[in-house]
Amino acid sequence: MLPVFELLKPASLEEAIEMLSEHPDSMPISGGTNLVVDMRSGKLSPKTLIDISQLGELCCIHEREGILEIGAGVRIADFLEDPMIARDVPILAEMARSFANTLIRNRATVGGNLVNAAPCSDTAPALLVLDAEVDLQSMVGTRRMPLAEFLVGAFQTRRQANEILTGVRLPIPPKEVRTAFEKMGLRKISCMAKVDVAVSVHVGEDGGVTNARVAVGAASAAALRVVPAEDALVGSSLCAETIGRAANLAAEAAEPRAGSEYKRQVVRGMARRLLTSLAEGGRA
Amino acid sequence: MIKRVDPKPLPETKLPELKQVGKPLRRVDALGKAVGATVYAADYSMPNMLHAKVLRSTRPSARIAKLDVAQARALPGVACILTGEDVRGAKLNTDLPGQTGREARSGSDAPVLALDVVRYVGEPIALVAAETVEIAEEAVRRIQIDYEDLPAVFDPATALEPGAPVLFEPDNEVSRYKIRKGDVEAGMAEADIVVEGTYKMPFVEHAYLEPDAGVAWVDEQGVINIRVCTQVVEHFRSIARALDVPQNKIRIRGTMVGGGFGSKEDITVEIFLAFLARETGRPVKLVYTREEAFSATSKRHPFTIKHTTGVKKNGRITALQVEMLADSGAYPYLTPYVLLYATGMAAGPYRIDNVQIDSVAAPTNQTFTSAFRGFGGPQAALGYEQQMDEIAKALDLDPFEVRRVNYLKTDDTTCTGQTVTSAVWSEECATRALHALGEPAPSTPTRKIGRGMASYFQSYGRITWFHDTSRAWVGVEQDGTVQLRCGVPDIGAGQSNSICQIAAEILGVPLERVTIYATDSAVTPLAGTSTATRQLYMSGNAVTKAATAVRDRLVARAAQHLGVEEATIDLGDSRVGVKGNPSQSIALKDLAHLCAAEGIELSELAQFNAPFNEGLDPETGQGDIWPDFTFGTAAVDVAVDTETGQIEILKCAACHDVGRAINPAAVHGQIAGGTHQGLGYAVMEDFILDEGQIKTPSFAEYLIPTAVDFPSTEVIILESGTGVGPFGAKGIGEPALTPAAPAVANAVADAIGLRINELPLTPKRILDALAGVSEEEGE
Amino acid sequence: MREIRLNVNGRAHELRVSANMTLLTALRDLGYTDVKNGCEIGECGACAVLLNRRVVNSCMVLAAQADGATVVTNAGLGTMKDPHPIQEAFADAGAVQCGFCTPGMVISTKALLDRNPDPTEEEIRDALSGNLCRCTGYGQIVSAVQLAAERLKRSISSPASPRCGDGHEPAPAEPLRVSGEVPRGGEGE
Repeated sequence: MLPVFELLKPASLEEAIEMLSEHPDSMPISGGTNLVVDMRSGKLSPKTLIDISQLGELCCIHEREGILEIGAGVRIADFLEDPMIARDVPILAEMARSFANTLIRNRATVGGNLVNAAPCSDTAPALLVLDAEVDLQSMVGTRRMPLAEFLVGAFQTRRQANEILTGVRLPIPPKEVRTAFEKMGLRKISCMAKVDVAVSVHVGEDGGVTNARVAVGAASAAALRVVPAEDALVGSSLCAETIGRAANLAAEAAEPRAGSEYKRQVVRGMARRLLTSLAEGGRA
Repeated sequence: MIKRVDPKPLPETKLPELKQVGKPLRRVDALGKAVGATVYAADYSMPNMLHAKVLRSTRPSARIAKLDVAQARALPGVACILTGEDVRGAKLNTDLPGQTGREARSGSDAPVLALDVVRYVGEPIALVAAETVEIAEEAVRRIQIDYEDLPAVFDPATALEPGAPVLFEPDNEVSRYKIRKGDVEAGMAEADIVVEGTYKMPFVEHAYLEPDAGVAWVDEQGVINIRVCTQVVEHFRSIARALDVPQNKIRIRGTMVGGGFGSKEDITVEIFLAFLARETGRPVKLVYTREEAFSATSKRHPFTIKHTTGVKKNGRITALQVEMLADSGAYPYLTPYVLLYATGMAAGPYRIDNVQIDSVAAPTNQTFTSAFRGFGGPQAALGYEQQMDEIAKALDLDPFEVRRVNYLKTDDTTCTGQTVTSAVWSEECATRALHALGEPAPSTPTRKIGRGMASYFQSYGRITWFHDTSRAWVGVEQDGTVQLRCGVPDIGAGQSNSICQIAAEILGVPLERVTIYATDSAVTPLAGTSTATRQLYMSGNAVTKAATAVRDRLVARAAQHLGVEEATIDLGDSRVGVKGNPSQSIALKDLAHLCAAEGIELSELAQFNAPFNEGLDPETGQGDIWPDFTFGTAAVDVAVDTETGQIEILKCAACHDVGRAINPAAVHGQIAGGTHQGLGYAVMEDFILDEGQIKTPSFAEYLIPTAVDFPSTEVIILESGTGVGPFGAKGIGEPALTPAAPAVANAVADAIGLRINELPLTPKRILDALAGVSEEEGE
Repeated sequence: MREIRLNVNGRAHELRVSANMTLLTALRDLGYTDVKNGCEIGECGACAVLLNRRVVNSCMVLAAQADGATVVTNAGLGTMKDPHPIQEAFADAGAVQCGFCTPGMVISTKALLDRNPDPTEEEIRDALSGNLCRCTGYGQIVSAVQLAAERLKRSISSPASPRCGDGHEPAPAEPLRVSGEVPRGGEGE
């Protein structure tokens, strides 16, 4: 049984934010795929839940002047169905395909996944390579910050108790950018023994890398960008040697928990393979 | 890698052509389940019903210093609280005396509720019955309990060392067996080389989809009715003993079970419900949470198995020595029998004249271990089949070839000296399973392909010194439909359908015209447990006996009616008449009318007895244990990613001789499902305890295979017709699982060139093992 | 406590629920015991229902969040007398052993075939990836889905009476603002 709490149903985002301020020890709930589980286990027991699952303001995907805006309430399943995602940021569709299972995807939201900030979050590494920013709204206004700054540690973010993460925004990558996402684990679907790697390279006309992003998930307290690996790739021709170096740097940057040091090797292998597939022009 | 082989031609078998048996008919229970009409144990409610919850230990080894239920009792809506004091002396009869020749071990039966000490996390301490589930949960939270930690032991080897904390006087030896056949010393001396290997396997959780549940009430005759998902209705006897009531005052109404795999062979919720229903006089419902199903019910025994094998250069085994150590968990439950099975099957389906086996089980302060599909057989197979591959490697022989020169044949004896009398189609099965894999994929530097096989044998039917019996009643109604009454619990494998199909065959009616009433200890003839792969064998034979008796009477009367010889009469399509001559026949319903009017019995209650033996020689372990064995082979191709440690099962094939497939679709389902459980055992399932605390308490941490993890198993069914079950059937329920995990372990060892001796084969273990190798190479 | 309305399998219900009650509990309390409780943490899929036509784990939806919603459970798709083609296919293909996972499997299959009437094996397995089965090894379940797809395609030429869950259920009393309905680019500005 879940602990006792009060459930409020705001009719608008504005009302939701008011409620969040007025009720100490309150949390927003949308899909509930993390929250319900955590409440059942006793990990979380907020006195009040504010149901934001029906708020239209949070459920849209917009494209505005080269910026993609994804409402926090967008379900992971929507990434699989939306043509804008498929066209502009296929890595999010790739991530969504490996996210939990069909049933969970139909409820889990991108906002919920980011705010929960589990070390094994799938949205985080994919959004990190897209240079995503998050919007946090409260009674006093909106704060916007890079996702990398938002994620502080395991289950820790810079969201304050009176803030709702309302959306994610990212610059739509140019057509020349190639991206890839992969997840590996003890089982195809699970958070156990899991590693995520996301990569993005912008290859210029001469075949040289002008920009790169490498992110690793589930191998540290929080998903992280591996800047040294990115630097190693920039200016290179994505040859095997450079890829190997970048993969090693990604492995070194990982900080797995005691007993899971083997994950570094997994990161190395996955990063090498993803970058190699991009070098071969494999993935979009 | 194992060389490609062609399937060995099958010996000639002339199995009679049958009308219903042998057809993949839609099962009698299938549609009800598919439309959601079947009422499982937790789906049932009654007026005025209370809800129960259990307070369970959070310490692995402790004295209960204080237990105060006053505050809980005071909560409005709480109807009843029971503690160990209230049910003092009530036991779960888990340790049946006599199985090891020793006296009953004092105190080792699990108490219904812990009284002074708790021995594992999850042990039940108190019961609450309240108006709602929420109130019951709140009441449990309000029970005040103080523990004083006691010394604990968490692995069986430590438990056997002098000075270890003793769980039950006089010592931590729950069970011990020895087998001495031939002369092992001489056999080892004869060998060209001796190969050693030690293999470990973890706790495994059954992970049936339906959490244990039930509803109990006291009826107008004072009988305590318990509607529960169970593999054993005969538990009414143990429950009666615990409640100190006559055995005919407990009625078990078994439901369609949502998976058991051995876990529901133990008493679970029913005994709590019986006490609460009696105490309150009201119906009571108890539904386990998934976390309770994990912590409070049995697990598969962890084993450490050491093989020392003497072999000739051509692969022939000259001597075998095996040591086995099993973890009994906090209470024995069925440990002595699981250990016996593992011991009796420790040498595998191989002809070995000189065998020495020593096995022992010791307790730990961890979740208790008991029955789980295979019952020690799968663990034994992980020992002998991995060892066979190590032998092949040491001799540089093909893994199949090493097995081929050692396979048992019909009329050979097992390591306990039991003669195998049915067909042994090990080679036929092995060649077919291997052949089905086709050409292996090519390896790359980072993706190593490996092929592995495992041949096995697994008993079906219970230990013969249990003097097992089963009963069934078959009757023909006056409209020609057929009724079956049988105590058989249906745990999803088609237990009830198979006997309906048999009755349909014998009485010549379509399956749709057979209705079965089952699993009621008061109303249906007792058919024994749905365990030990025994139901088709035992109840199938009982139904065959009963249906045949009715058939014989029908045939006699029909022959008289038609003026023909009895030998010419056949039954089919609800008619009885001369074979091949429809004009000389009578409708079954008309014949039934005739018989009813003349007082000819249209029904029969029959009992089938398994062979009755008296046990093994305590010094040599020689004797017959089981009625018969099933033989088969699983073969697997894997790809091991050397960069990430991932294992991908590329292809899996399983071939078993099932004697006769009563319903081939059901047999297919058992083989496919059992193999799948074995694949999970090999690569992802690990029920982890740390200092007695469960680290994998739910489906989020304990992983079982999903639809995307493994390809479908290619299932190859062979029928030798030589089983002791109905129509020559053997058993398949447990055998289906036994070879799968060792096949994977062997495939992985083949892929990476080294063996990881412990399951599951996780990415971490793969990478650590590969790193270990490179470290050695670097020196 | 609050009053909520649910349309379940075509029947309108009004019920009082506490904030912490899940849709799973609410449905089972209403008598829809074909929706099974296998784990209550969204890992096994036994509680799968169609919530406004999307397949979800009902154990993770608060009942109050589903106020006004249309729910379809396995029992709403067909009966013993008139089974849904998907249910019949499961029964015929040997895909039902203990049957406990079956209601959830059927619902996930319905959701799949509504969207994709001709799925590949890979698509079938992915659609069922959230429904655990311990008995079958999934092989016969995949066959059942393929059989159902085939039969449904054939029956389109001779449609039977409308079934619950086929979009013929009564429209909700007021227009729903349902999360997940993503307006395409440019809308809502």
